[in-house]
Amino acid sequence: MALPLALPSWHLIVQAIISGLLIGCIYALIALGLALIWGVMEVVNFAHGEFLMIAGYLACFLFALYGIDPVLSAFLGFVVAGLIGLAVQKGIIEKVLGSPPIVTILVTFSILLILRYGALAAFGPEVTTTHPWYGVKSIYLGSIAIPLVGLIYAGASLAATGALYVFLTKTYTGIALRATAQNRIAAQLQGVDVKKMYTLAFAIGTALTGFAGGLLASFYYIYPEVGARFCALSFVIVVLGGFGSLPGAFIGGLIIGVAEEVAAVFIPPVMKDVVAFIIFILILLFKPTGLFGGRAS
Amino acid sequence: MRVASLVPRYGLRVFKDELRTRAGMLVLGLGLFLIMLPLPIKNQFFINALFVTFLYAIMTLAWAIACGQAGMLSFGHSAFFGIAAYTTMVLLHQKVTPWLGIPAGALLAGLFGFALGLLFARLRSHWFALATLVLNDIFRLIFENWEEVGGMRGLEMPYYLVVGEPSLYWLNFTHPRPFYYLALGITGLELLMIYLLTKSKMGYYLKAIREDEEAAKSVGINITLYKGFALGLSAFFMGLAGGLYTIRYGYIDPGAVFNMMRISIYPAIAGLLGGVYSLVGPVVGCFIFIPIAEYTRAYIGSWLGARFYGIHLVFFGIILLLVSLKMPEGIMGFLEKAGYIRPLLSTTVGGSGGGGGERKSPPER
Repeated sequence: MALPLALPSWHLIVQAIISGLLIGCIYALIALGLALIWGVMEVVNFAHGEFLMIAGYLACFLFALYGIDPVLSAFLGFVVAGLIGLAVQKGIIEKVLGSPPIVTILVTFSILLILRYGALAAFGPEVTTTHPWYGVKSIYLGSIAIPLVGLIYAGASLAATGALYVFLTKTYTGIALRATAQNRIAAQLQGVDVKKMYTLAFAIGTALTGFAGGLLASFYYIYPEVGARFCALSFVIVVLGGFGSLPGAFIGGLIIGVAEEVAAVFIPPVMKDVVAFIIFILILLFKPTGLFGGRAS
Repeated sequence: MRVASLVPRYGLRVFKDELRTRAGMLVLGLGLFLIMLPLPIKNQFFINALFVTFLYAIMTLAWAIACGQAGMLSFGHSAFFGIAAYTTMVLLHQKVTPWLGIPAGALLAGLFGFALGLLFARLRSHWFALATLVLNDIFRLIFENWEEVGGMRGLEMPYYLVVGEPSLYWLNFTHPRPFYYLALGITGLELLMIYLLTKSKMGYYLKAIREDEEAAKSVGINITLYKGFALGLSAFFMGLAGGLYTIRYGYIDPGAVFNMMRISIYPAIAGLLGGVYSLVGPVVGCFIFIPIAEYTRAYIGSWLGARFYGIHLVFFGIILLLVSLKMPEGIMGFLEKAGYIRPLLSTTVGGSGGGGGERKSPPER
């Protein structure tokens, strides 16, 4: 854990910031799903990372079998994760809404166990990934290399985030969703079918994560426990951005991405998740409402 | 806040009353039975299985202090377990007897738990659970990269102890029986401690916090402080289990002591199965779940082939799902609610929390 004797050059730092911003877009997308579900339903989806893992495996299999590009599979991942989310919501979570929080925590946590270790039993513990043609290509700006795959997954994440923004601000359903998040009873009085909104929020939240999972497979290894790391990170991001605040979750994702990558220049890269956790502790100590306020926990 | 509020106001008189009842005699008889149990048994494997079950009973009761008493559902108790395990082992290498090393490790874990309780007091239910879930991986990462305490390789008991004569001073035995008695003793101590806690002012405060934080705050309970106490106490006992584990097995590594499933989640499943709001619920849960867990772990793999490694964890997920859907109060909670057993030492609000002579009427037919 020794610090390097000489400070790394600014190239390395700029490089780290750029890769942090790129990966931050994916973090943001995953965190948006978690924040959306929390904001509307007041349920923390512990199995959030598992939807990522399922879509990641889907992309890997489609690539291995038919050579389909992982970014295209991400759209299928969106649909599949959304459908599984819909089934989980309709079949299990809807039944426990309104029970004490401990019950909803345990229910989503047991879904995590079932999905994660079901994948372990089905696919084995080995890591798998895809090798798209742009996987190793880079664009050079002077001495700074920008990985092409990074531009692609960051662009796709931004597009998905933009689509979510348009959906939430421009369509009737989106506005009803936000109204439910703001005040459940008032929304109900205005004729919003709150129960339907819960289902929709859960399905969209998991579907966004599924989309991120497909993108993740284009550059990261997929294994049964891959969800653990990303679920933990998106949780830190949601706390950083302010519980349930969607703009907060987006900015928080970028911040955590940059912080981790820059930290990895100075400390062993495997320790970079510890940095995210230290940020989390600091927020709890000094700004417990997060950067963007949001609803109290 | 006085520390004295930990001790019930009427001293041990309440406890004496409790002992006179039939349930009290049952507890006494069961205790004697458990003390005699390993004496006629020759099979070391079986005694070791009993030890493991009681080790988990310590952990589950510790976990239930946080979850059942204060409503702090934690998925990260392995942090406390591991901190104490490492402390005990490092002290053992410094030639400190485990009789001091185990309490020292537990104290350190307890202090850490107290600090963490203060820090996480703002996080309500869901977010507390998520924050603690992250602890498993964070501590595993830190200890894997901490070369001074062995890094990935972990730490082994000093060699002169491994080859040395059995000794009480070093708690160095090959036979599992002494460890069984240690685990049994700590479990008994912990049960007594939780019993006293539920009868004390602090116990009522914690219950109030668990049921309604806003209301508890409005009557002037310092929520942050009491959450700290609850998690600290819970972490202390978890630490005792960690130290005991270290001494028993003589080898620790980050992947084992900061293991999410086996250290943090098994106690949670066992506790919920038995009932977290009941005093003996966690122990009952352990006696049901831990043997099942160990056997399924050992047999499903060899039965279905290594190809299906991990399938037993899916079953645990299903058990947890069914318990939380159908019986969120656990087996003991269910039995007590249905009136089959007197809610002896139950900590549910409205149960016979007040001690002494209340009796629930038998179920009406």
